Amino acid sequence: MKFLILLACKNLSRYKRRTIITSSVIAVGLMMFLIVDSLLVGIDRESVRNLRWYETSSVRIMHGDYWEDRMLLPLDVAIEDPDTMVGMLEDAGYRATERIMFSAEMILYGDYFGEAGNLPVQVTAVDPTRDNGVFKFADTLIEGRFAEPGSNELVMGSWMAEDIGAEVGYWVTLVTRGNGGFFEAMDMQITGIVNCPNPNVNRSLLMVPIDTIRDYLAMEGLATEIDIALPELADIEEEKEKIAALVSEWESTITIMGWDEMASDYLAAIEAEQNMSMILLFLVFLIAAVGISNTMIMVINERIRELGMLRALGMKDGDIHVLFLLEAAGIGLLGSIIGTVLGIALNFYLVGHGIDYGFLMREMDLAYRIQSIFRGAWNLRGILITFISGVVLSVVVAWFPTKRATSKDIPSCLRHQ
Amino acid sequence: MIRIQDVVRNYHAGETVVKALKGVSLEITDGEFLSIAGPSGSGKTTLLNLIGCIDALDGGEIVIDETPVSKMDKKAKTEFRRNNLGFVFQTYNLIPVLTAYENVSFVLSILNVPEKEIEERTMGILKEVGLQGMEHRRPDRLSGGQQQRIAIARALVKNPKIVLADEPTANLDSKTGEEILKLMQSMNEKYHTTFIFSTHDSMVMDYARRLVSLHDGQVIDDQRR
Repeated sequence: MKFLILLACKNLSRYKRRTIITSSVIAVGLMMFLIVDSLLVGIDRESVRNLRWYETSSVRIMHGDYWEDRMLLPLDVAIEDPDTMVGMLEDAGYRATERIMFSAEMILYGDYFGEAGNLPVQVTAVDPTRDNGVFKFADTLIEGRFAEPGSNELVMGSWMAEDIGAEVGYWVTLVTRGNGGFFEAMDMQITGIVNCPNPNVNRSLLMVPIDTIRDYLAMEGLATEIDIALPELADIEEEKEKIAALVSEWESTITIMGWDEMASDYLAAIEAEQNMSMILLFLVFLIAAVGISNTMIMVINERIRELGMLRALGMKDGDIHVLFLLEAAGIGLLGSIIGTVLGIALNFYLVGHGIDYGFLMREMDLAYRIQSIFRGAWNLRGILITFISGVVLSVVVAWFPTKRATSKDIPSCLRHQ
Repeated sequence: MIRIQDVVRNYHAGETVVKALKGVSLEITDGEFLSIAGPSGSGKTTLLNLIGCIDALDGGEIVIDETPVSKMDKKAKTEFRRNNLGFVFQTYNLIPVLTAYENVSFVLSILNVPEKEIEERTMGILKEVGLQGMEHRRPDRLSGGQQQRIAIARALVKNPKIVLADEPTANLDSKTGEEILKLMQSMNEKYHTTFIFSTHDSMVMDYARRLVSLHDGQVIDDQRR
């Protein structure tokens, strides 16, 4: 074995240019993989965080029939006595808040907006005293202030405000149907504009005080959802069970869902996008694999007479396989080291600064819950697997040319020119 | 003792069958210094390859020291070659990335000889073939004659029973070729190793103590001197 290692190392150093070129192909492939993997992991982590912080919370309690009809935003399928439920949850140490979601037609006046018009919107009625304890809107206000309890005030997402030309102080009218089917029109003044890291929220958020809405829409003692914040690493299923036990008196009328169930469409879309990225990366690896295989074929062809001599002198075919596989592993190891070092170096930039895709996210809905800067993340397991894959891939693709080398008879090898 | 009995070897080129050896029989005793002579295509290399267990025959039998080597499987032949045979090739076939020392010593590494013994035997044989002080040179920094000396050292370092040399002087000038033959002769006398070499060079034939002439795959003459 010592001789085989010596010979493999000497061959690799003797044919430096070829070794470096082939290693570079592997290095570029691995580096790209590490960068894309870092971005995907980073995007995924940040998207999930922004989803929980600004859209779904960690766990939501709803009426048992609400989820099925959620697209209709029904008011008559609501939780009864939500204040008591929130109080019980808070007593048990949970951060919880109640909300009412409803759809409306927002009427814009020419006096303020330059042109009169209306657009369909989804409105979130929140408890101003509790909502920022569950969601993270507190630091996202870029203009004005949050709505006061009992007021006809409204907070709007920054992109929506930008799109319709809204400013703090402007009035709009929300027209909707109350609980029972009656029509209601509510004049609301914009008092604040928020800009958060979640593009969906910036694009569509309209936040109003829940007590005002209860009056208008006959929702006294009702809420369409109760949102609960949990620490990032909390076990959602375990917490759901604890919460269910706490609110067991509502057991027959409510359902409790984790953020991952509520965001299952998002998670499926992200998985599809990430699978697509992985297919592209697989193609990069395939190119690297062809490069290594081609190099090994060249190496074996050049040294076929040497192989014949080694076999004539009694070296076992298995040892000859090992010799070439060691050389391939050496190329793979070098490529893996270079690729990993480059990937890690670039990842420092990606984690620290990221790439600004704001122009894209503003115009397109890519499902990611990131507003502009895509940051990488450290995925040590991924780095380790990538490093090992570089070496293993080299050995695997070198196997077939190596096998072919010993299938030729010795006299033919010795005659080879 | 090598006993070659009615050996037949055919090569197939498409539908054409080339009869390289047509029933060759020969007995070679231990310690002989034997040349197989003949023109190109006479079957010299084929016969050497068959004795060297690197080719398979189509008929007949080859027995080396009571071992019917022609009936061995691939694995057994490899082991037999490793333990009993040394090879010297026309084009030296040294490993270009290894030094003279490493080109010789690896043969002993394959045999799992202890490290210290490898060093002693390698240095000893390199001295005997006149390459003392050149152990660390790579083949590309040595002349053709010196490279062939390494090849001879490589063949002899494991003390084989038989050394097979296919046209060992064909790539050398006549003076260097003669030096190589003298070296082989002295090694044959010193170690009593059987040397079988093929040639079509009359100067080389003059050195042989036994000359077997082949023509069209048949032995046409067998002279002892």
